[in-house]
Amino acid sequence: MAISFTLNGKPQSVDVSPDMPLLWVLRDTLNMTGTKFGCGMALCGACTVHINGEATRSCITAISSVAGKKVTTIEGLSADGSHPVQKAWMEEDVPQCGYCQSGQIMSAVALLSKKPNPTDTDIDDAMSGNICRCGTYQRIRKAIHRAASMQAGKA
Amino acid sequence: MIVAEELGCDWANVTVVQADLDPKYGDQLTGGSLSVRTSYDNLRKAGAAAREMLISAAAREWYVERSTCRAKNGSVIHLSTQKRLPYAQLVALAAGISRLADPPLKNPSDFKIIGKPTRRTDSLAKVTGAAKFGLDTRLPGMLIASVERSPVYGGTPRRFNADEVKSAANVRAVLEVKSAHLTHQFGETSGPGSRNYSCAGVAVVADSTWAAVQARKLLKVEWNEPPSASETTATLRERMLRLASEPGTVIRSDGDFDKAHTSAAKRIDAVYEVPFLAHATMEPVNCTAHVRGDSCELWAPTQIPGAAADAVAAALGIPRERVKVRVTFIGGGFGRRLIQDYAIEAALISRDAGAPVQVVWSREDDIRHDFYRPAACHVLQAGLDSQGQLVSWRHRASSPSIETFYGGTGISPRAAAQVDSLDFPALFVPNFRLEFTVAESGMPLGYWRSVDASGNQFVISSFFDEAAHAAGRDPLEFLLAAFGPARKIPVGNGETLDVGRRRNVIELAAQKSGWDKPLAAGRGRGIAAAFGWGSYVAQVAEVTCDANKNSLRVDRVVCAIDCGTAVNPLGVKAQMEGAINFGLAQTLKSAITVSGGRVEQSNFHDYEVLRMSDAPPVIEVHIVPSAEPPGGCGEPGVPPAAPAVANAIFAATGKRFRRLPIRTADLHPG
Repeated sequence: MAISFTLNGKPQSVDVSPDMPLLWVLRDTLNMTGTKFGCGMALCGACTVHINGEATRSCITAISSVAGKKVTTIEGLSADGSHPVQKAWMEEDVPQCGYCQSGQIMSAVALLSKKPNPTDTDIDDAMSGNICRCGTYQRIRKAIHRAASMQAGKA
Repeated sequence: MIVAEELGCDWANVTVVQADLDPKYGDQLTGGSLSVRTSYDNLRKAGAAAREMLISAAAREWYVERSTCRAKNGSVIHLSTQKRLPYAQLVALAAGISRLADPPLKNPSDFKIIGKPTRRTDSLAKVTGAAKFGLDTRLPGMLIASVERSPVYGGTPRRFNADEVKSAANVRAVLEVKSAHLTHQFGETSGPGSRNYSCAGVAVVADSTWAAVQARKLLKVEWNEPPSASETTATLRERMLRLASEPGTVIRSDGDFDKAHTSAAKRIDAVYEVPFLAHATMEPVNCTAHVRGDSCELWAPTQIPGAAADAVAAALGIPRERVKVRVTFIGGGFGRRLIQDYAIEAALISRDAGAPVQVVWSREDDIRHDFYRPAACHVLQAGLDSQGQLVSWRHRASSPSIETFYGGTGISPRAAAQVDSLDFPALFVPNFRLEFTVAESGMPLGYWRSVDASGNQFVISSFFDEAAHAAGRDPLEFLLAAFGPARKIPVGNGETLDVGRRRNVIELAAQKSGWDKPLAAGRGRGIAAAFGWGSYVAQVAEVTCDANKNSLRVDRVVCAIDCGTAVNPLGVKAQMEGAINFGLAQTLKSAITVSGGRVEQSNFHDYEVLRMSDAPPVIEVHIVPSAEPPGGCGEPGVPPAAPAVANAIFAATGKRFRRLPIRTADLHPG
C-alpha cells in the first residue's frame, strides 16, 4: 500500500508495511542515512525529525501516521550547512563523534521555532531527550544561544 | 596539524581523508590516549622530510642552490627572485628525490599551526547528516542481519525454530553464528584460560532492518548455559568483598604498614564499591562485511582496523592480506570498538549468507552484549599521626581481571591486578601497602575510557579526602602537603614522577575555582586529581545539594590539564569537557547489574547516562602552557570527575558516598 507524504519539500511515496517506523523508511527504503538509529524506544533522540514542524522521534512513528504530512530531516535544513543552527554548531566546534548531532540539531531547530530566545531551562526541557555520550552538552547550549542571536539578526 | 606545520602548508587548503587499513600505516589503533603522543615525532619528521623533498624539487626546477629556497604556505619560494612554485606543481618531481632520514624540524617558537586553537575539519559533514558511520554503509544487494545472542556469556544455541522464522516476510536466511576466539587486540598472546570470545547466537538475515528486527521477534532459541549462569551482582559482590577483606597479592609494600598503623594516633577505614559499566556508544555496535571466496571486505566502525583484519582472517581461515578494511566514522568508541567481535560476526554471517551483510545491533543487544568495565570492591585503611599527617595506608582491592580475560589464567597475579604500583598515594605515605586479588566472574570484560583508573580514582581520591577530614585539614592543603615540594622522583626504568607538574595542576584548578571563597549552605566543593597517559589533570567540582528536595546539581567543574605540548587547544578542551561529562554519567547515573548470569539492563530507561539537564552548566578548562612532549588527552579527564563530585557532596552535606552511582534518593537522611 502506497503512503504519500512530503519529504524536505518534495512529494514522496513509499510502498511498505504501514507499521514500519519512519526511521527505517528514511534509512533503508529511501537511503537517507542522516537520521540516526540509537535506541528504538524514543529514549535517545538520535532519530529526531520534524513532522509538520514538530520535533518527533521517528523510531516509534509508524509510516502510516505520516501520510499527508510534511517531514523534514537533517538533509532538508539546508543545501549546504548554511542553516543558522548548523552554522552555530560549526562555529562553536560542537560535534565530536557526531552521531547524535543530527537529532540534536533537529531538536534545537524546533525549540528555536517555538522559543526564539530560549532560557537555559527551556534548553534543558527541550534538549534532555537527546543523549550525547561524547559530552558536548555545554557546547550545544552555547550554540543554541548563538543561533538564537544569529536568527535575531544580532550576531 | 602536525604534518601541515612541518610541511609548511596553508591550513585553509588542507583536506583530511580517512585512510583505509594499509600495512604501511601499521594497525591504525585509536585508543589508550595514544594518538598524538605516539605519532607527534613521526608526523613531524614525515612533514619535514616531505618539505625538504619539495624544496629540492624546486631547486632543481630553477637550477638554484637549495639554501636559497624556502617552503611556506604551500609553496616553495626562491628568496632572491621571489619565484614561487606551489607544492602541487612540485609533487611529481619531489617524489623521485631521496628522503632525509633525519630532516631538520621547525623550532616550536616558529609554529603557526601547532598550538593554535583549530576547529575540526569534519563538522560540516556531521551537521548536515552527510558523515557516513558504520550503520550508514549501503551496498548493492546488501542484506541486514539481526542476531539473537546467548543471554549468558559463553552459552550456545541448542535448538531454534529456523524454518518458522525463515518463512517470515523478506527473510533470506536464519543462521547459527558460532562463537570465535578473539585475537588479543593489542597483540599479546591469548593463553589458556582466556575468555575473550565473540558471542554465539542465531542470525536472522533479511532485506531490510525492519524485516530482520520483526522476524527476530518470532525466533525461539533454547540455550546451553555455562556455569556462570548462576552469577548475580550479589554473589559477585560477596566474593569481591571477602577477597578484598583478606590479604591479597602484594603489588607494593613500602615501610611497615602493620607496625605504623597500630601505633597511629587516628585510624580510619572504609569499603568502596563500583559496578560494571557498559560503554553505550550512541551508535550501536555494527559491522558490514562482504565475503567472496577467500577474500573479505569490511566496512567497520572500529578502533583498530588491523585487529579487525587479524580477527576476521583467523575466523575465516584466510590470509590477512585478503581482508580489506574500510574505516567508517565511528559513533563513539570509548574502548568498546577495540574489541573485534562485531567484525568476526559480520564476516561469518556474510560468508554463510553468500551476500554482503550489515549486522545491526539493537540498543538492547548493545547493552547486553558489551565487554564491561569490571565491578570492584576496595577495602582501605589509613592512619594519621598526632600532627594529622598520613603515616599508614593499606588498599586491598578485588575485581574480575581484564588482563586474565584476554591473556589467560597463566599470567602472573601481578600482571592480572587491576591496580598499579604507582597509584597514589604510593611514594607519598611512608608505610604503604597495595594488594589485589582476582575475583572470578563469567562476565565479559573490556576497556572502558580510562580503564582501571575509572573506578580506582573514585576510591583513592575519595578515601584520601576522608583522611583529610579525619585530620581536620583542608583537602587541598592536605593533598599538597602529602605531595611535598616540586621534585622528580625516580620510579624505575629510567622514568621519573614529576611532583611539580602534579602540584601545578592541583594549584591551578584550586585557584581558578576560588577554592578559598566560602560557599553558601547546601553547596560544596571537592577536589581530585589523576595522572597517567603522560598527562596531569586536576578537577574541582561544585555542587548544590538539597536533601529535603532530593536534589543534587553539579554546578561547575573547573579542570586544569598539563598535557605537555597541546597541539590543538580546542581539541584538548573538547576532550576534557567530554571526559568530565562521561565521568559524571558513572558518578550519577549508570550501573550494570547481573541476575542469572544475564545483564539486567537493556536500554536508556534502565541504563541511564548523562543528559543535558544533568550536565553542569559550566565546565572550565585551563591548559598549562608547556613545551614538554605531548601527553594523552582522551582519557585523563574521566577519573577525577567522580571523586571531585563525591568530595563536593561531602563538603556540602557531611554525607560520604562510597558507591557509584550516587543517587539523589540517597541524599535524604531518612
